Amino acid sequence: MTTADPAPVRRKTLRKRLTDSRAVQLIILTIGVFILWGIISAVIERPDRYLPSPLTTLISSADLLEKGVLISFYSDTLTRLVIGSIVGLLMGIPFGLILGLNRTIADMFYPLMNFFQSVSGIAIFPIIVIWFGNSSTTVMIVILYTSFFPIAFNVLSGVRSVPMRYISAARTMGASRFQIIRDVLLPGAMPSVAIGSRLSIGFAWRAVIAGEMLAGQAGLGNMIFAGQELDNTAQIILGMALIGFTWILLDHFLLRPLESDTIERWGLVTR
Amino acid sequence: MTGEAKLIVQGLSHHYPDEYTGESVHALDNIDLKIYENEFVAIVGPSGCGKTTFLNIIAGLLPYREGRAMVDGVDIKGPGPDRGVVFQEHAILPWRTVSRNIGHGLELRRTPKAETQRRVQEYVDLVGLSGFEDRYPHELSGGMKQRVAVARTLCADPVIMLMDEPFAAVDAQTRITLQDELNRVVMATEKTILFITHSVEEAAFLGDRCIVFSRRPGRIKSEIKIDIPRAERQWKDMVNNSKFTDARDEILGLVRSEVTSNDDG
Ligand SMILES: Nc1ncnc2c1ncn2[C@@H]1O[C@H](COP(=O)(O)OP(=O)(O)OP(=O)(O)O)[C@@H](O)[C@H]1O
Ligand SMILES: [Mg+2]
Repeated sequence: MTTADPAPVRRKTLRKRLTDSRAVQLIILTIGVFILWGIISAVIERPDRYLPSPLTTLISSADLLEKGVLISFYSDTLTRLVIGSIVGLLMGIPFGLILGLNRTIADMFYPLMNFFQSVSGIAIFPIIVIWFGNSSTTVMIVILYTSFFPIAFNVLSGVRSVPMRYISAARTMGASRFQIIRDVLLPGAMPSVAIGSRLSIGFAWRAVIAGEMLAGQAGLGNMIFAGQELDNTAQIILGMALIGFTWILLDHFLLRPLESDTIERWGLVTR
Repeated sequence: MTGEAKLIVQGLSHHYPDEYTGESVHALDNIDLKIYENEFVAIVGPSGCGKTTFLNIIAGLLPYREGRAMVDGVDIKGPGPDRGVVFQEHAILPWRTVSRNIGHGLELRRTPKAETQRRVQEYVDLVGLSGFEDRYPHELSGGMKQRVAVARTLCADPVIMLMDEPFAAVDAQTRITLQDELNRVVMATEKTILFITHSVEEAAFLGDRCIVFSRRPGRIKSEIKIDIPRAERQWKDMVNNSKFTDARDEILGLVRSEVTSNDDG
């Protein structure tokens, strides 16, 4: 038995090696965006109102940082995201599993799930405010609601899509129903759990920001909103940048590795 | 063949209900078959004649109502570890390594770890996968995956091993290697095997007995004994073995007549 030879190692030129690296690409891209931003800001009229320069934004952030507002807003938002999406996943995963394992229950719940899936987090906002007021609870409920459906649907279809022959094979080895769930259906649904989690957390992240804006709760969403009222464009840009960067970091260091550690190793998802 | 019958099938028929037309598909008709200990029985027949149906009933994956099927004298009522199945498509689990796939059957029975490890290693070596124990299936070639599937079934030590076109999905060269290897493995483990195939050559090469199914509804059309000791069954010798070539040609004739009679029907 022979395995395929590894691809021959070729010497790379220094330039090639530098541009090959993802980190370097990212840095170049970032610098490019900043330069473009700086140029636009320099040529337009009244940049402090329409597009403050990177430097102005930085100074304004230092100001907010010094007052302690930035840290406090940022941690409020992150806390909501973490708690909201974890609870959402903890509810959505078992729910999706139960539906995936039982066709009768799934058929019963499906129309209801499909209905609520179409009613976005923003659309339920007014009624939640009527019930719970402009409170942190309202924001949490909206995050939870938003993150629940993507994961539940993905887990449901993940369990369903496990090939029948894997289940048959386990049955012929004498596996009990519990053993089939543990050894076949759960691991088989893992790709969908990972994909669904990432979707859910992405949705939750948007819901936090929108929720904070609408419910006027301290946090990044609120910071952006307040920036408009205070005519502080730099604060708005800072808030937007933090939202985007937080997602990129979260995705890069937590969500993607989670996916690749299990799924790519099994060869279930090929990129 | 001496010894006791491991598998006994009596008057087994099967109809698939058709939900749309209300008519039923008559897949198997009145099958009688006995397979004895350490016997290798190959079934060939035209496509759609009911071979997989037959195997699925024996495996316990398909409930039956007409006739009887028994393993070791006990009526088949569902799947069980006394019957191991090697499926046509790779049915080894992608999220388990080679050794964890092979040991899965023992794990399901809560066999002690040390015992499982020893047995797994034995079968890893037997099918020539040493060094690949910790690989995942997607890192293996098609032939290697089927070796894992065979080892997994053997390792669970079934009374009878059921194989449904296990080598149909691999290339011709690998197929020949796998057939030679299966012979060696059967010799080493003294297993009782029911083997389904499209390939007449494969049936004649592997089977102690070859059962030819008629076109649907599948009936036993004829039965050919291939009296060649297992030790002599290697491709490099078999091509010149007249017992093999005679049996192959006879089976081929029987299968051909089934297929041609199928043309106008
Ligand atoms: N679940 C099913 N419902 C209805 N009819 C079925 C079902 N499974 C198989 N059949 C029909 O029963 C007949 C026998 O099918 P089977 O799969 O046993 O054939 P086979 O001999 O294994 O064919 P092949 O050599 O192509 O694998 C076919 O006509 C098929 O269409
Ligand atoms: Mg078949």
